[in-house]
Amino acid sequence: MESIKKTLYLNKSKLGKIARYQCIYIVLIIALLAAVIVSVNSGTVDLSVSEIFKIIVLKAQEGSVESNVIWKIRLPRLIAAGVLGGALSVAGFLLQTFFRNPIAGPYVLGISSGAKMFVAFTMIVLMNYVNVLPPGVIMLAAFIGSLISMGFVILAARKVKDMAMLLVVGVMIGYICAAFTDLFVNFAQERDIANLTNWSMGSFSGIGWADIRLITIVVFISLAAVMMLSKPIGAYQLGEGYAKSMGINIRVFRILIVLFSSLLSATVTAFAGPIAFVGIAIPQVTKMLMNTSKPIIIIPTTFLTGAVFCVFCDLLARTMFAPIELSIGTVTAFFGAPFVIWLLLSRKK
Amino acid sequence: MIALKTEKLKVGYGKKVVVDSVDISGFRGQVLCLLGPNGAGKSTILRTLSGLLDPIDGVVYVNQEKLPDKKKKDLAKELSVVLTTKFSAGMMKVYDVVSMGRYPYTSRLGKLTSHDHQLIQEALITVNADYLATRNFEELSDGEKQKVMVARALVQEPEVMILDEPTSHLDIRHQLELIDILKNLSKEKNITVILSLHEIDLALKSCEKVLLVRDNHIVGYGAPEDMVNEETISQLYGIKNAGYNNLLGSIEIENSGEPSVFVVAGNGTGIPIYRLLSKHNIGAMTGIIHENDVDYEVARTMGLTIKSEFAFEAIDDVNYLGAKKMIDRIHTVIDSGFPVRKMNEKNLDLIRYAISKGKKVISFRQKDEICKYFGDKQILECHESCDFLKHLDTEEMPTVKLGNIL
Repeated sequence: MESIKKTLYLNKSKLGKIARYQCIYIVLIIALLAAVIVSVNSGTVDLSVSEIFKIIVLKAQEGSVESNVIWKIRLPRLIAAGVLGGALSVAGFLLQTFFRNPIAGPYVLGISSGAKMFVAFTMIVLMNYVNVLPPGVIMLAAFIGSLISMGFVILAARKVKDMAMLLVVGVMIGYICAAFTDLFVNFAQERDIANLTNWSMGSFSGIGWADIRLITIVVFISLAAVMMLSKPIGAYQLGEGYAKSMGINIRVFRILIVLFSSLLSATVTAFAGPIAFVGIAIPQVTKMLMNTSKPIIIIPTTFLTGAVFCVFCDLLARTMFAPIELSIGTVTAFFGAPFVIWLLLSRKK
Repeated sequence: MIALKTEKLKVGYGKKVVVDSVDISGFRGQVLCLLGPNGAGKSTILRTLSGLLDPIDGVVYVNQEKLPDKKKKDLAKELSVVLTTKFSAGMMKVYDVVSMGRYPYTSRLGKLTSHDHQLIQEALITVNADYLATRNFEELSDGEKQKVMVARALVQEPEVMILDEPTSHLDIRHQLELIDILKNLSKEKNITVILSLHEIDLALKSCEKVLLVRDNHIVGYGAPEDMVNEETISQLYGIKNAGYNNLLGSIEIENSGEPSVFVVAGNGTGIPIYRLLSKHNIGAMTGIIHENDVDYEVARTMGLTIKSEFAFEAIDDVNYLGAKKMIDRIHTVIDSGFPVRKMNEKNLDLIRYAISKGKKVISFRQKDEICKYFGDKQILECHESCDFLKHLDTEEMPTVKLGNIL
């Protein structure tokens, strides 16, 4: 009788959990749809909802200014914001798990800055030979830069056990990368600089369909791979010793996590520049929302939450002081930084 | 049957050897306990036995298979661990932490079957932690966390379970509970339990075998009844200023001060007084106690000067005179309130003698008993330790050199 009661209790709590997850997903999807609709609808060219509907679904007025605004500017930007925002959040979750540090993220650890540095370097060198760099090359450069920074952070993490100290090291690595970036820029030609500064400000604008294709392929393949890793990630949350004792090949696992987190954050940096705080804040918010840290649940949810958050932030960046456009980093910092401060303070207890 | 065995095992980190020539066998259904001071190398041995650390030399066999050659996945189904490392569980529930132990058995994405769920619930019940299932792991006390980690190790369905200091940071209730759980696991599930402990008495009473590790050497291996005695324990831990009593399994602080009081005791009534005196650095002598008295055991371990009588003999005159001489040298006599029977009647005479000599006498007896034994004499009554210390008022007590007495 007792045990039946217990099973019932567990089943009940399981049902409650599932209901909670469903609610959160419904809310997130509604928020995403709302953000998408408002995003497509806002901007300097005013369009009615029915016009937008016709343009997108029926592909009406092909070739017109309105159609171009929607198809060539607003839609790719929207998709980029969503996919890259999600990618950034997943990268953040991976780094937090890897470093066992709830306030880790690609930006604070200097990984985005490393990517930026190497992209700047590559641009300046290669622009002497070609006019436009293919997106694949930029992404590869960002990936290499991310791995370089990541390498330094991992070295530092071996020495410092303190959570906050690691962040300080990460921020310093970020500064060093920024210093190198500035150095490279000094040697750059003027037209490159215009290119660089625009990109390095952080923005989802100017991303075209070719980029989108590459972004979605890379991000969704990585996402699927990370999902497949969710079982060992869960075991790794108990610490390396336990993970190893359960049969995980720690070395291979760590390499995979480093590769995928670098790849995801490099993709973001390559196309949108460094974006702060999304990587730290969104996985934490997701864990709180879902009241669990099970990777199999958190990974897809944090992707969705990150997508919603970035679409909203991009909307604000575009519209708040239109026609002046804010950099995406400004908006994410506005929401993300106070949250991280709160996180740090509440951890102290 | 032997589940785990080592041969000429040399453990350590990199090239640095921590402990040499470890040769042990872990039998199914037995508890093997590593004893030794901090830093002796117990954890290093346990990590090597678990396969978390590769041996520098020698071999570890788990079920007749050499460790480094054994597939990690297979090892995980035969051996599980409880480590000292803390981890931040974030939002993990107790149930989730325990379910992690099913890792070697679940599918690629870690989906739990109803069999897995059943095992998890059983394990939680086995460690008396089923009521914690839905709690956040982070919020648990150390004792509760440790039980949950044992449950996690248990759902891994191991044949060998290795635990590194599972009882440290636990209160006495949880220590006993945990040891009891482990003992039952070894007997009921036929698991080989290998653990390190700091509690010698717990080890003595719950393990089939002990391995004594000191200064990076194995100094003993065998049944605790054969291995653990006062000398080995004092040596093992390099205990100074205290003694370990094997019969009682207790540690007593050494009382090496010059004796200034004489405690007339017996039948265990002396122990709290001895301990109080040792705690306040007041040197003491005691008598006349029989050699089979617990008072004798504790007084001996503390290193007090004792006037003793053979077991089951009535106190004889020689000893009585000796005790009198001892009383002559000091200022205060304490009557512990020992029960008076034929064998120790003379102890009452001893107190009467002290009164007649004008010594300060402090008694732990009730008033009517004092009147019955000593009449209406000058005796300080005392029922609590604070009264006792007030009565003692060390300043008026001149200390006596030991040499004068003996």
